[in-house]
Amino acid sequence: MQRGFVTGSNPVSAATANLQARQIPVLLGGNPAALKDWATRWETSRGLGCAAAIFVGAGLYGAAMGYWRSPIQASYNLIKFPLVILATSLGNALLNGMLAPLLGLNLRFRQSLMLVLMSFTIAAAILGSFAPIVFFIIWNTPPLTDQTEISWATYNFVQLVQVIIIAFASVVANVRLLRLLQALSASEVIARRVLFSWLVGNLFLGSQLCWILRPFIGSPGLPVEFLRANAFQGNFYETVIRAIGNLLST
Amino acid sequence: MASVSACQAVPPIDANPEEPPPIPNAVAAIESILRQPRRVLYQLRKPGSGRLIAAMVLVAVVCSLIYGVIAGTFSGGAQLWAAPVKIAVGLLVSALICLPSLYIFACLSGSQARLVEVFGLVAGLAMLMTILLIGFAPVAWVFSQSTGSVVAMGALHLVFWLISIFFGLRFLNAGFSAHADCSGGGIKIWMIIFVLVALQMTTALRPLIGRADTFLPTEKKFFVNHWLECMKQGSD
Repeated sequence: MQRGFVTGSNPVSAATANLQARQIPVLLGGNPAALKDWATRWETSRGLGCAAAIFVGAGLYGAAMGYWRSPIQASYNLIKFPLVILATSLGNALLNGMLAPLLGLNLRFRQSLMLVLMSFTIAAAILGSFAPIVFFIIWNTPPLTDQTEISWATYNFVQLVQVIIIAFASVVANVRLLRLLQALSASEVIARRVLFSWLVGNLFLGSQLCWILRPFIGSPGLPVEFLRANAFQGNFYETVIRAIGNLLST
Repeated sequence: MASVSACQAVPPIDANPEEPPPIPNAVAAIESILRQPRRVLYQLRKPGSGRLIAAMVLVAVVCSLIYGVIAGTFSGGAQLWAAPVKIAVGLLVSALICLPSLYIFACLSGSQARLVEVFGLVAGLAMLMTILLIGFAPVAWVFSQSTGSVVAMGALHLVFWLISIFFGLRFLNAGFSAHADCSGGGIKIWMIIFVLVALQMTTALRPLIGRADTFLPTEKKFFVNHWLECMKQGSD
């Protein structure tokens, strides 16, 4: 059974169709009543605003992350990190737009794209706010070059911090998205179903895009490059399966 | 029956019908933050809070410099100017590094505080912290003159700093609670992040006490490693 959704006037969205910086707190606050109108009424300027916020937030975080390898890697990540997010959103836009009504939430294609962009904007804002902290941590760590010895503990600490921050941003963004889907569908079951299907699709495509666009930090023994020479040879899942196979055979 | 959460126990700042008088200068800001913190919180919400924020930042910088001189008297020489510069700069940079994440945590918690207000709360935190450090300064100076142990002096400064930052963070928490929003776990997580960043900053800018050949360290290390090495050297 498909659930409809209610559209209503919203003082936040009525004032402007753009995503302005002062509306980021509204987005982060995640109040479904305030955001329903954003989600259900596609505005190109708001979509572009979300894309810009993703570029700034995710770009800054990617740069902080890449700085550990070198400033050049940081500048590459300024472009690559937001590119992964935006390419995932756009690459899965058609699929997400089709899955939502099939699973019971009557959204149009552009509305589902808007919802996904809003969710990624929340994640990017959180990542961007942590960029100075990550940069400070990296600055206090020996650089990742083949001439530097980095202790196992230091390396793992930096990796752990990255994982925690990215996981936190992702969880918050998805919780906000779930609440919005619940408000739109008036059904927790449908909302969870739609979110899960979008997540699976986004993770599947996103992992492969990360594989293609690697490195984001890079091995100290390999040169700093925008893309590896074999970027379009093989895929993420093949590598994982091969690694598991090697592990099991030893 | 719904229980009253901790954040609801603090009445909203606008609930007080009497409008407190504005804080005109830095001295009044110091008095207010110690005796009438709600007056500071109230003024931070009003338009034109820039002057108050600037005054609080200025007081924080001056107090940091003064405490830095006291800390520098332990080693003397170049530390008499290096320590105050490092402490003041370190405090400002730590606050700036952590400010974006504080604003985001506040938004995630549902706070209606504007970025200027959040900046003002951080300025208030820094001012209160450094004012309290000035209160500890005579004690720190006495110990500086009567002990030769870098480890002991470092531990003493750390204790004073931890006590001071406790009250500073309490002011910050009150600021968010006074917005009639729940300050939330996010603010508490931020407090931990801020303390860790500030502690790491002390190691990144070492030495603050003791001597070194260079103004800044040539080797990068985390503060826990640095403390353990110092304690090991001190016991040898």
